[in-house]
Amino acid sequence: MRFNILIGLTFISLLSYGQTDSLQQEEDFSMYENLNFADEGAKRFCTPKVFDLSPAKLISIGYDYQGPFSIDYGKWKDQNGNLVGDQSQGNFQGAGGLRIGANIPVISKTNMVLQAGINYARTAFYSNSSQSANPLDETLKKNGLSTAGLSTTLFKPFNEEHFMIVQASADLNGDYATKNITPAKYTRYSTAIIFGKKKHDRKMIGFGLSRTYRVGELNYIPVMLLNWTAPSRKWGVEMLAPARVNIRKTISPRNIILFGYELEGNSYHILHSQLSNGSVNLSNIELRRSELRIRATWEASLHQFMWMSLQLGYRYGYSFNLDQYTDGKEFFRGFTGDQPYLQENKMNGTWYAQLSINLVSP
Amino acid sequence: MKSLFLLSFIWLTHTISFAQSTEADQLLGVWEPSNGKARVKIEKIGEKYYGKIVWLKEPIDPNTGQPKVDKNNPDASLRTVPLKGYRMLKDFKYLGGNQWDNGTIYDPENGSTYKCIIKMTDNNTLDIRGYIGVEALGRTDVWKRLNLKK
Repeated sequence: MRFNILIGLTFISLLSYGQTDSLQQEEDFSMYENLNFADEGAKRFCTPKVFDLSPAKLISIGYDYQGPFSIDYGKWKDQNGNLVGDQSQGNFQGAGGLRIGANIPVISKTNMVLQAGINYARTAFYSNSSQSANPLDETLKKNGLSTAGLSTTLFKPFNEEHFMIVQASADLNGDYATKNITPAKYTRYSTAIIFGKKKHDRKMIGFGLSRTYRVGELNYIPVMLLNWTAPSRKWGVEMLAPARVNIRKTISPRNIILFGYELEGNSYHILHSQLSNGSVNLSNIELRRSELRIRATWEASLHQFMWMSLQLGYRYGYSFNLDQYTDGKEFFRGFTGDQPYLQENKMNGTWYAQLSINLVSP
Repeated sequence: MKSLFLLSFIWLTHTISFAQSTEADQLLGVWEPSNGKARVKIEKIGEKYYGKIVWLKEPIDPNTGQPKVDKNNPDASLRTVPLKGYRMLKDFKYLGGNQWDNGTIYDPENGSTYKCIIKMTDNNTLDIRGYIGVEALGRTDVWKRLNLKK
């Protein structure tokens, strides 16, 4: 008797276990239209994704190369405000270097996405001439310019339509290669805050304010975000003006072309030019470097999540002036300030190319 | 006596297995990704869990006027398969501790398939993490359980 009961229990146990299997069968999908969240407190939030945007890069390794160009160096301003020395010119066969970046989502929740990133960009200045026009020319040829930084981006949706983006970065920029890195006290901080609306999965628009060094020196600039895809899904706009604007042509989800520009820039602490130059004291110097890059970008999947990005375009030198801190601290000139530069220089334009291999985000 | 002991052991083993199966089957049901664009029904086939699209917010392709198909699939022969009914979660096995692993998630927006791990953070919430190679290189989406309207 006990034996029969146990056999029965075992059979029931096995039968129940087997009943969880489902068979593939035709289904009436209309039954899934009238559903509610099981958790009555659950809310829907908009996401940062817009259809067909160029893929976000988790890891990127690339090389940037600029063709031949010259820099016209102006006279120096001495401590009394007088122009001293001679104008001169530095000629370069080219400039270029590695660009490495990583941007990893660290928190991905429905109501918050937080990413953390690192970046490194190197510019070596190539010249056949061993003679230097002035101390800045000398350190460019000898040490080049480098940037290493950390960044973070927060996407905070408030509901299904409205969101906020906060970006912040801290960069160590200077005339260093691998040693004598710019001291931490010269870290340059940039930040931006944007409030926006995602009308649907093809359009996201926002407005905000940024504290930026993209024009070379510290500035506060209004920003506009627009990520838009046409109903045909063939064209779109990716814009964070004035930093970058791109028109996107989607050949396929794995093959896109972008036409547009990017304003790149930062303030570089010039540590290695503490040389004597007559009556000019060359300490506490910052190079205000800003470049406008007008380009076409081809982005395509090489294999699954491995993408390549090839940029070809023209690099216009927007700013290459030197500033000197009178009290060792950063100051704000903006577009209207009249503080004189220590040296006003002109970096002449040239063509450039950039190739990178990227691991793109899911 | 010996046979009674043996049968008790078999019964106990199946009972434990059934209890674990019940815990694993908490995953079954209809879920909505955070973007609210689709609803996915998770089912069990054999010992594995699969999720198919059962509802689309925009079921019609505006370019063709026809129901959306999997037009971005890297396999050209699958580009005419309707998205509704498409199995986008595949091959998940229950690991214990409210986690299902060894599966994949397919993104119809770009035709990519990612490794995926599912964690149930409460009875009505799933963390679905698609990743490339290692879990750190990925993105988590939060899915919410849906029930029939009362």
